[in-house]
Amino acid sequence: MFSLASFSRAILGSAIISLPQFMQSAIAQDMPEHVTGTAPYPFTMLDVRGFEDSEAPIQLPDAVAEKLELLSEEQIEFLQSDDARTYIGNLEKTVAKLEESTPAEVLALVEAMQDVVSQTRYVEGRDDSNIDLNTDSPKFNAWRLRRPLSMDPKREPGPVKLGRYNGRGGPPTFGGYPLALTPEDLIAGEVDVAIVGAPLNMGSGWRDSGAQATIEMRVQGEAMSGSDQYVGLTAGRILNIVDYGDVAIDNASTERSMKHVREVVREIAETGAVPVIIGGDHSLEYPNVAGLADVYGKEKVSVIHFDSHYDAWWGGSHLISHGTPVYRLLNEGHVRPADYIQVGLRSSGPDPEAFEWMREVGMRFHTMAEVERRGWDAVIERVVAEASEEGRKLHISFDIDVIDPGITTATGTPVPGGLDMRESITIVRRLCAEANVVGFDLVELHPALDPTYVSTLSSAHIVKACLTGLAMREKELTDPHYLSPIASEHAIDNYYGDQQEYLDKTAELEAKREAEKQDKEED
Amino acid sequence: MIALRFIRVVHLLLAHGLLVLSVCAVAADSSDEWEFPENLKPTFESLVADQQRFISSGDFLDFIPARQMVHELTTRKGEELSMMIAELMAAAEQMGYNANRDMGAMPLNTDTVRFNDLVIRPPLLRDENREPGPFSVNRYLFSESGVPTFAGANVAIWPEDLIAGNVDVAIVGVPNDMGSGRRNANFGPRVMRAMNTLALPDVNSLLDPRKVLSIVDYGDFAIDRMSTELTVDHVTSMVTETSDTGAIPMLVGGDTSMLYPGVKGVAESRGRGEFGLVHFSAHPDTDREAVHTISDEQALFMLLDEGIVSGEDVITVGLRGPTVNIDTLQWLRGQRVRYHTMAEIRRNGYDAVMARVQDEVANGPEKIFVSIDVSVIEPSQMVAAGRIASNGLSVQEVATAIRYLCAEKQIVGFEITDMAPMLDFSRLSVVNANTVLNACLVGLALRKAGLSANYVHPLAIDHGQD
Repeated sequence: MFSLASFSRAILGSAIISLPQFMQSAIAQDMPEHVTGTAPYPFTMLDVRGFEDSEAPIQLPDAVAEKLELLSEEQIEFLQSDDARTYIGNLEKTVAKLEESTPAEVLALVEAMQDVVSQTRYVEGRDDSNIDLNTDSPKFNAWRLRRPLSMDPKREPGPVKLGRYNGRGGPPTFGGYPLALTPEDLIAGEVDVAIVGAPLNMGSGWRDSGAQATIEMRVQGEAMSGSDQYVGLTAGRILNIVDYGDVAIDNASTERSMKHVREVVREIAETGAVPVIIGGDHSLEYPNVAGLADVYGKEKVSVIHFDSHYDAWWGGSHLISHGTPVYRLLNEGHVRPADYIQVGLRSSGPDPEAFEWMREVGMRFHTMAEVERRGWDAVIERVVAEASEEGRKLHISFDIDVIDPGITTATGTPVPGGLDMRESITIVRRLCAEANVVGFDLVELHPALDPTYVSTLSSAHIVKACLTGLAMREKELTDPHYLSPIASEHAIDNYYGDQQEYLDKTAELEAKREAEKQDKEED
Repeated sequence: MIALRFIRVVHLLLAHGLLVLSVCAVAADSSDEWEFPENLKPTFESLVADQQRFISSGDFLDFIPARQMVHELTTRKGEELSMMIAELMAAAEQMGYNANRDMGAMPLNTDTVRFNDLVIRPPLLRDENREPGPFSVNRYLFSESGVPTFAGANVAIWPEDLIAGNVDVAIVGVPNDMGSGRRNANFGPRVMRAMNTLALPDVNSLLDPRKVLSIVDYGDFAIDRMSTELTVDHVTSMVTETSDTGAIPMLVGGDTSMLYPGVKGVAESRGRGEFGLVHFSAHPDTDREAVHTISDEQALFMLLDEGIVSGEDVITVGLRGPTVNIDTLQWLRGQRVRYHTMAEIRRNGYDAVMARVQDEVANGPEKIFVSIDVSVIEPSQMVAAGRIASNGLSVQEVATAIRYLCAEKQIVGFEITDMAPMLDFSRLSVVNANTVLNACLVGLALRKAGLSANYVHPLAIDHGQD
């Protein structure tokens, strides 16, 4: 069991963390959740990993004292500080540099370093703390204005089938599911799952996750519907699933898009439906989870973060990007660190310091190093067990770069050595069946890089795995790693020695279905 | 008959440096009211006063076309009509900024020790052990050693290198990527280096640009990939610094928002209004109401609005994109911009229009900045254009025009933008983008060699055997 007190102790006990900064913000209840007007970001922005001044000052030997004679006290202090190490290296290099320089040259050098450090930092008055928008624009909010319902012919609330032939044959929707546009549609249709696109396109500096992805996932995403042989279910027959359209995005500002995505995720979750968000880049994890926290409460939702990257980076000038959603969620107190489970990490970060920080605050990370040591089967059991603890509510954030780039080539920041589709489908299906999943997102698909369509197809199958899992939960098929007894064993002979077990299970299942059928008829 | 020919008049005022914009709609007969078919009048009059005003003022036109409004007024009655108008008005109320509801700015992390990432170390803090001047990345005299540079040229890093090498042309990447179309322009500079087809001998003049000109790869200018706003100042000052050395900055984007710091940076060095701008693009880039303070869609507007170039010194060729509309063309006319749409080119022929452009250039300032957004090129030859637009100019047409301009006038800057290589698996777009850039290098070489813009070497034009 996790408590605030033990968490604070964990932080204070750490040598590298001076202040539990984000916990201060997490426990402040009355703060606004977002920036209004031109106000600054209402949470502290210090990097609690001790990014700043993490090393002790160096001690300069007396031998170089005369070289420092033109320096002020403050300048000597600067020369000894961590800031100077970036520019003239460690103690040894610094002494060497001092020995070959005149006092005047030393002074010039220190002044140059101080100048660069000052320029690099934020200085009030000199630098803008915000990026201005043109608030005089008459179309300031045009990007997110909703179309008044009355502009269209009157219809009753509820999902709309777009095709002429029992919903088929119309414009493509996610999995061919009917379209819903308002919370009223979700409520009237008793919708269980609302798949919504969020074509955010500001992600990485390498390739980025395409605004086209939400469209391609509709065009190529038939796989999201249809039956699942492994468990013998068709999600669309058990759950009411809809395409909830795309969220409006301002692709010139991730920050601005966040607020609106959060609103839409919140409005879906408020109806009781599970939002399934198709990205867009991984910044979306922030509004997705924050929107769920708005509905279920702060620190009430756990997150499984499938990704080759840890995405808890901080310390740049931007408060949100596809490298920072995890940190921002923690910083604003939506999720407790202990409720963060990361799977598949293998990129060049986190560095040892960041790993140490994650361990100190109690995040549960499962790297590919752990997989290499323990084997995938052991890790998957551990992850499912962690995710299912205490029936906690769970959001799954699935970055397709957790999969090996041999399969999902079309992604923003591919890293080799990832999961294959068998592993990915199994763990997603199991989590959506065995844990209490209240939200799911799939991000970082870039269709422009996908001439073979394999990445898009694979992405659709990941979404299907979760839909299938949710349907299994509805049908109470939540035993650990449930598989259809008839699909997994022909039972004509007794090759494995457990033939009767499979025949019995199949008969049991058939009897259950028969009973359900009769119940329905009696109703 | 229905009189519905609305003319929307947009007034732009500049007050305290802020854009103030008012819109009014005037009916074709100068009356403030609509002229309805008789049978619609009772419907119109059944609405409450402010709803009537919403319709008669033309304010609704931001949301639905006039045709649709007539249809609604014809087919809807009573409650059903007034509710639709009320919902439209509610949407209209939400269009503008409200400080209590809307984020008026995008907050930054002011606590970070890396707030300004685009800082350059002063010479004292550079770990360098070489004399200034362009240097080769190759181990061999003739063979290349695998590090791709623009034009296979030597590398320069600091202005001192440009001065020491007496550099004529500094080709530099500006890999930002926040365009309003499809993205990946940030890869433009790298891939254009990798597929090097630059500074090749020219079949018309038989000149080798590298032998005539001192060309360097000046690296990339740093950008903030999450914010064009935070990128602009740095790029501007770097362009100014480059131009101050006397070298021509030849910028490789990046999206077209970088047109603004490109031209502004040169203006800081050469003086505002001291040179003209010839912009090849499918898009006018003159959004006047944008929410963001900088983007590709408003780059040219900002240059004109801030007086960095004068409208009468601007020529834009190849317009046809989705933002070409009556308002924009009228505004360009008002700014005295010489625009040449694809409509004009299709009607009069490319040669005739280019002759007109050549006249305009001849009568304009002696110095020009040449800019090309690759969207101007026909998509079959430039599928990687970020803001792709059908029915464009051929690479040959564009290259010929660019070669002429770079030879005929004194070039103060050149820029090519918005080529997103990942959108073209064949890499043809990259080759064609380099072809356009190469055309300018050839033009510059012609000028430096004292040859005319249309010079063709006699050996190149005829085998002379009969």
